[in-house]
Amino acid sequence: MEREVRLQKIGRRKTLRQRAKENRKWQKASTIVLPVILGVILVGLWQGQVLHGWFHTDTFTLPLLDKIGGIMFDIKDKILINTLSTVSVAFIGLLVGSLLGYLVAVLAAMFPKIGMGGLSVIGAFASIPVVALAPVLNNWTKDVSSQASIRSMVSKIIVVTLICAADMGLNAYRGLTEIKPFSEDLMAIYAAPKRTVLWKLRLPNSLPYVFTALKVSVPASIMTAIVSEYFAEYITGVGRQIRENIVLAQYSTAWAYIATACLIGVISYVILMALQSILLRRYH
Amino acid sequence: MGVEREIEIKTRNMGVTFKDNEDNDVQALTNVNLEIYKGEFIALLGPSGCGKTTLLRCVADLQKPTEGDVHIQGMTPKEVRLQQKFGFVFQQPVLFDWRTVKKNVELPMEIMGYSKGERSDRADEMLEMVGLKDFANHYPKQLSGGMQQRANIARAFGLDPDILLMDEPFSALDEFTKEKLHEDLLRIWRATNKTILFVTHNIQEGVFLSDRICVLSPHPGRLSAIVDVDLDRPRALEVKESAHFNELVAKVRNSFEGGSV
Repeated sequence: MEREVRLQKIGRRKTLRQRAKENRKWQKASTIVLPVILGVILVGLWQGQVLHGWFHTDTFTLPLLDKIGGIMFDIKDKILINTLSTVSVAFIGLLVGSLLGYLVAVLAAMFPKIGMGGLSVIGAFASIPVVALAPVLNNWTKDVSSQASIRSMVSKIIVVTLICAADMGLNAYRGLTEIKPFSEDLMAIYAAPKRTVLWKLRLPNSLPYVFTALKVSVPASIMTAIVSEYFAEYITGVGRQIRENIVLAQYSTAWAYIATACLIGVISYVILMALQSILLRRYH
Repeated sequence: MGVEREIEIKTRNMGVTFKDNEDNDVQALTNVNLEIYKGEFIALLGPSGCGKTTLLRCVADLQKPTEGDVHIQGMTPKEVRLQQKFGFVFQQPVLFDWRTVKKNVELPMEIMGYSKGERSDRADEMLEMVGLKDFANHYPKQLSGGMQQRANIARAFGLDPDILLMDEPFSALDEFTKEKLHEDLLRIWRATNKTILFVTHNIQEGVFLSDRICVLSPHPGRLSAIVDVDLDRPRALEVKESAHFNELVAKVRNSFEGGSV
């Protein structure tokens, strides 16, 4: 009797799992539903102070979510100014760095003798840790402007630029050179000049690789901007505010900026994914 | 035949030697003397490693012969290539993923600087010819292998080249698709009167398609026989069951130096 019941149970569990696997609607929905459930559980554990018990901490160092939210709302103007500062550093650095990296990759693909050297140099720069790069560049840029805000901004942008340039350069070079077998022969048969090969074959071929690079460098640009703010002369930016507020033991405000940093990261990644799905549609 | 025919491609003592990893000379091809008439369908037949693709690439100026020379319409292969008189169908359909089928067919015409309207009309015509009209706006990855190879052929014919070079274009396809494309190719060839060089390692394919078969043998790659295929045209698939077809197949097989391969 007992054996039979257990067998039935196992049988049912199996079919349930099987059914979930076969249901395509559920498969699709589960990629959204499951993370949301996890998020709700986490919020519950945090707000219910279960996390505080686990990590032996208190609501002063790990403030409750409603308090963090409240502070975010109260100082939203200040948060906006600092967000703008961080985002503009990250975005300008990303843009300049990616363009620079792509340009070096094109040079390397067209003139390997000169270009490969350039690619190695930016690759080497990128392997220097940001915590080492940022103070050095602070020092280098001290004569750029008489205004501390501009000096600091330039220094931070250069750090982000170097990090992004290497990532884009190395990926784009692969995209420009790893082309389908016989593609170059095809262009040769039609006597296509070098620039036509670049324009009609190499550049379009590199587009998916550009997105591979951006998937790394978009989050990296924000991270780098945040870390360089720690070392900057002028006090501004989301990262710097996290540090300043922790030093002052204003943990709730620090957490408000940590949440802001997360939001910036998530939103920029969503924008990137949307761009990719539009621009790479025809590649799939 | 009586009628004097115009020679289109002529190779003289052509050979290709390259160095292997240990710096030894390897003769890929030696002493090839060949005359191909205008409008002729020639099959280059042989086992792998006999240099048939090398021969084709030398004609197309994708590779330079190290000995002897090639003349096409009294010019060097390079001159002919720069005049864009070649069409080349590769072993794999070299279609660009980011272009629709139609845009892929238009690519050589874009390089040549045809106007937009001209390109579009011509591409439509070519796609109609290979039976891909309804797939013009599909992307290559949405097509089967056979359809991709058709698009490849449409592109090669798009510029109306004098000489069509085909490097085992159907070797990766299944037997049904292959037979269909054989018939299509013969129909298009008859309608356009191109000179075709067709590389294959399949004896039946060579006999069914060509006017003459150039049999190549390996080590070193060389031209070992030329077999005339005197089957009537137009040819239908049924010709493959005739006694004469099988005699020709046997004749080609026996002409490989060193007997069967």
